[in-house]
Amino acid sequence: MTDTPDTPGTDTDAPRPPGFDRRMLEALVCPVTRGPLAWDAEAQELISKAAGYAFPVRQGIPIMLLDEARQLED
Amino acid sequence: MNERSENTTHFGFQTVPEAEKAGRVHGVFTSVASKYDVMNDAMSLGIHRIWKDAMMDWLAPRPDMRLLDVAGGTGDVAFRFLDRKGGSAVICDMTAAMLEEGRRRAEAADLAERLDWVCGDAMALPFPDSSFDAYTISFGIRNVTRIPDALKEAYRVLRPGGRFLCLEFSQIPVSGLQWLYDRYSFNAIPAMGKAITGDRDSYQYLVESIRRFPDQESFAAMIREAGFEQVRYRNLSMGIAALHSGWKL
Repeated sequence: MTDTPDTPGTDTDAPRPPGFDRRMLEALVCPVTRGPLAWDAEAQELISKAAGYAFPVRQGIPIMLLDEARQLED
Repeated sequence: MNERSENTTHFGFQTVPEAEKAGRVHGVFTSVASKYDVMNDAMSLGIHRIWKDAMMDWLAPRPDMRLLDVAGGTGDVAFRFLDRKGGSAVICDMTAAMLEEGRRRAEAADLAERLDWVCGDAMALPFPDSSFDAYTISFGIRNVTRIPDALKEAYRVLRPGGRFLCLEFSQIPVSGLQWLYDRYSFNAIPAMGKAITGDRDSYQYLVESIRRFPDQESFAAMIREAGFEQVRYRNLSMGIAALHSGWKL
């Protein structure tokens, strides 16, 4: 049960993997606190300061699962 | 929620710790993702398409409607919703591989603008209160660890006046037919699963989880318990599946 690899080599004539759509930021909340999220473009993460978690965005898809989230250092 | 982690739940006919169920279900769907739709066709002899159309008939999509389809996988319900002049939809599923497959299809069909794909848990939805006009879940609620929690979340994210619709395998009210259907499902489906996806165990789980799921009336009571009103259901194909509806008023 591994994460889906970034479809290596198969994407040459397909469009680039879509980035995270900023419009989604307003449509999402932290699944733990239901509070707002901040977008870290560099890390490609959605940050929930209140919960202390960073949720990854992979292939443009936000992964809003606690099991997959990174715990923020305080 | 953490104190409850020593509780147990069903994984098909096995009893497993609650904390394990999501991982096991995730394993089932990661293992079958690419052939999931082919397998649905084979298992239900194509009838799941008719059932999903029946769900859209009951929902009656409108261009101003925003849908959340939970356990929406590769998006086949959301695509139907757009075909029927629905406005926009968010597809939420635990398995990222299913969502990626769905998004590829959306891009190919030029529908990407009206669909968003989010990996999330039905028991802890990453969406604000009162943010959708309709919530659908088809063949997904059976796999949720704590169904009442998922129903509460459905209620929370729906706007007042919003509609909940759930399509799920159910129980045939005629016992002779249920017997025949059990023979079919316990014998034919795992074998078919092995032939098509090479994975017998995942389909054994699917069959067992179907048999474990509460009957029509019991499930309707759970939906009412979550706060929904005017809860009704319709049997599809004699009760092999049932469509439940409720309103947040």
